[in-house]
Amino acid sequence: MQAPHKEHLYKLLVIGDLGVGKTSIIKRYVHQNFSSHYRATIGVDFALKVLHWDPETVVRLQLWDIAGQERFGNMTRVYYREAMGAFIVFDVTRPATFEAVAKWKNDLDSKLTLPNGKPVSVVLLANKCDQGKDVLMNNGLKMDQFCKEHGFVGWFETSAKENINIDEASRCLVKHILANECDLMESIEPDIVKPHLASPKVVSCSSCAKS
Amino acid sequence: MTFPVKMADSLPSEFDVIVIGTGLPESIFAAACSRSGQRVLHVDSRSYYGGNWASFSFSGLLSWIKEYQENTDVVVESSTWQEQILENEEAIALSRKNKTIQNVEVFCYASQNLHEDIEETGALQKSHASVTSANSAEAVEPNCLPPEPNCLPREDESLSPLSCEVPAEQIPGSDTEIALEVNDAEVTRKREKRSEDKTSEEETTKNTSIAEDTTEQPKKNRITYSQIIKEGRKFNIDLVSKLLYSRGLLIDLLIKSNVSRYAEFKNITRILSFREGIVEQVPCSRADVFNNKQLTVVEKRMLMKFLTFCMEYEEHPEEYKAYENVTFSEFLKTQKLTPNLQYFVLHSIAMTSETTSSTIDGLKATKNFLHCLGRYGNTPFLFPLYGQGELPQCFCRMCAVFGGIYCLRHSIQCLVVDKESGKCKAIIDQFGQRINSKHFLVEDSYFSENTCSHVQYRQISRAVLITDRSVLKPNSDQQISILTVPGEEPETFSVRVIELCSSTMTCMKGTYLVHLTCTSFKTAREDLEPVVQKLFIPYTEMEIESEEVEKPRILWALYFNMRDSSEVGRNCYNDLPPNVYVCSGPDCGLGNDNAVKQAETIFQQIFPSEDFCPPPPNPEDIVLDEDSSHPEASESSVMPKPNSETPKETTSLGNLEESSE
Repeated sequence: MQAPHKEHLYKLLVIGDLGVGKTSIIKRYVHQNFSSHYRATIGVDFALKVLHWDPETVVRLQLWDIAGQERFGNMTRVYYREAMGAFIVFDVTRPATFEAVAKWKNDLDSKLTLPNGKPVSVVLLANKCDQGKDVLMNNGLKMDQFCKEHGFVGWFETSAKENINIDEASRCLVKHILANECDLMESIEPDIVKPHLASPKVVSCSSCAKS
Repeated sequence: MTFPVKMADSLPSEFDVIVIGTGLPESIFAAACSRSGQRVLHVDSRSYYGGNWASFSFSGLLSWIKEYQENTDVVVESSTWQEQILENEEAIALSRKNKTIQNVEVFCYASQNLHEDIEETGALQKSHASVTSANSAEAVEPNCLPPEPNCLPREDESLSPLSCEVPAEQIPGSDTEIALEVNDAEVTRKREKRSEDKTSEEETTKNTSIAEDTTEQPKKNRITYSQIIKEGRKFNIDLVSKLLYSRGLLIDLLIKSNVSRYAEFKNITRILSFREGIVEQVPCSRADVFNNKQLTVVEKRMLMKFLTFCMEYEEHPEEYKAYENVTFSEFLKTQKLTPNLQYFVLHSIAMTSETTSSTIDGLKATKNFLHCLGRYGNTPFLFPLYGQGELPQCFCRMCAVFGGIYCLRHSIQCLVVDKESGKCKAIIDQFGQRINSKHFLVEDSYFSENTCSHVQYRQISRAVLITDRSVLKPNSDQQISILTVPGEEPETFSVRVIELCSSTMTCMKGTYLVHLTCTSFKTAREDLEPVVQKLFIPYTEMEIESEEVEKPRILWALYFNMRDSSEVGRNCYNDLPPNVYVCSGPDCGLGNDNAVKQAETIFQQIFPSEDFCPPPPNPEDIVLDEDSSHPEASESSVMPKPNSETPKETTSLGNLEESSE
């Protein structure tokens, strides 16, 4: 295997109401397992996932769960600080958790911006899609509209239990972050030549293909 | 901050420890309890973390000021708790109003352009708008750029008059041209406006030189009030102004508990002294002493010799035994030190009082100062990036990670005491929910007047200034300085001045944030204004052209008094049950040892056999790689890592994360 010559480390937040499956998603994504008996992660700040994005690029993702503060949405600044992206999760079987999505998004945008002042990329996850019978999902267009209105870069129906779409959602988010980051570099230092930036390894990401 | 009321019903009603208040000692205690497996509920009646230890954005601080200036009674219509108290129980009502802040006064000197209706970028109200523009790649704020490596102290050897005279203008070179144009436009607009304003006496005399001035010199960065508002999120303004001794208890605890991974620090770069109207840099390390240009060779030798003695003074009792009963300043007079050096040692290194500190106190303080030198940098002190208010939150995060539950904006109406055992068994919150626990830690300000009727409090006088340049012309524009100004009258206290630059992430570029602190004698303004007037001048529309006025100008100033409950003993409070513990608000001292000691003492009382904040498992250990054989981070990694937003010389304690990668 060729030695990767770019490595990215991103902090990602996983946000949403109590019991929507945030921790299950993280566990599924990072540890490849799912436990329905799962209570709370004790003593762990974040889980690390290493992606070999392409032959030249390694992406390390720190997935930050929101610990015991979640009930009241009172996260410390430590949690938000320097995050590059987020998943906001709701439970398709509980409409109230979807109603909270916009609030979580506003809260996030008020507390976290990229260094250039823009909001971070956020992907919306409609979790527990394996449990079918949802009220919201049968209208994908509505969801697209909702995402556009609220500034989500995309949405996915996911299931931590059945391992549906979690990798895809993560790829979508990482793609946007990589793309944003190129903007970021350019907008910050237009005149500075960075020798090691020379390789034209720009990840193209205009839209995000959903499965 | 989002959904206060709705989910209160989901709060469990059984805990091991309930902590009321999210200041530093409470947060350390909560983290320690949670870490050792206790079920912790941690509440604060305010909407933010930290209580009187908090830091605020500029708009956040304005709301805080409003709250105390208006002195409004927050009448939360809460359900009555009286009926919940059973026959064999008593209640200790808690205070419903915070009385720890007084004499709040605000002065704005920066020009307020009333025609501009500017609000904070990224403020909550605007968040929707900013979201919708997210994908259209528009409106990049040139001034919102992150601090880049180029705002590191430059090696600006050239002592050209320009670079010295206009420190506020030293926006990092790579700042876009747009930014400069904006400033330029601002200047022009202001100049036009000025002609309509009533002119101050200086201004009339300087008026002629204004045009010249602005054409000949590059654009100057004049900060207006609306800019401060607009860049409000760049500010993190501390209510208490402290530093961390690099070998103090808090640093040790941060490292031991690995809470250090949540925080980043900068070294204080300069120790200053103020003598006979002149601000000077105090040489304190060996390198400083040798590089100092003010001291004579003889003085350098004297100072080195004396400091070397202080490092190991205990081994040479013959040198100081005879002076044990006199003050440190008397002792210094007997040493081979010029008055200049005596002043440095007394006020800037030992930072002790001229009239009250004994020889031993002074030697001890000097030794401690020297001991802390060099661990992370050239001075003994560290300052947390984003402000002191980060520190309680770091411990709260650790508590939460171990299962602690957090409720801000949650007031507690009363403690419920069992008559028979005399112990506290529950609290009743604002919703009337009764929550049981075994132990209770309550911060002083939550007690009602009934509980505190015999308590004598001291006060801390505080001032916060936003200024346009440093008190001592820096050779680089990013300096963090501490300066002690001795009290003028015998009965007044010395004033501690801490000046922060924008790379501490506590103020916007082109400004300095200055904190003044002393033990109160009168109101904060009466105590501190004399020092403020010596070091600064109020901002006027007058041109910088009058370079003989070297003082930094104040754009905005705030004064207030804060209650100091740190000296209050537990038995000063009336009728406290044995399982209700008290901790104090911030003390006036420079370090944070008092907070750590309180938390640790109470923790050891309750859990004598438990370790206090042992290191948690490292999350990096729980890596699941796609394929296990991937090489280490290559040298050429180009993209910013999560912490690359912060300037490079940030001190990361222990480097625990790195070592595990």
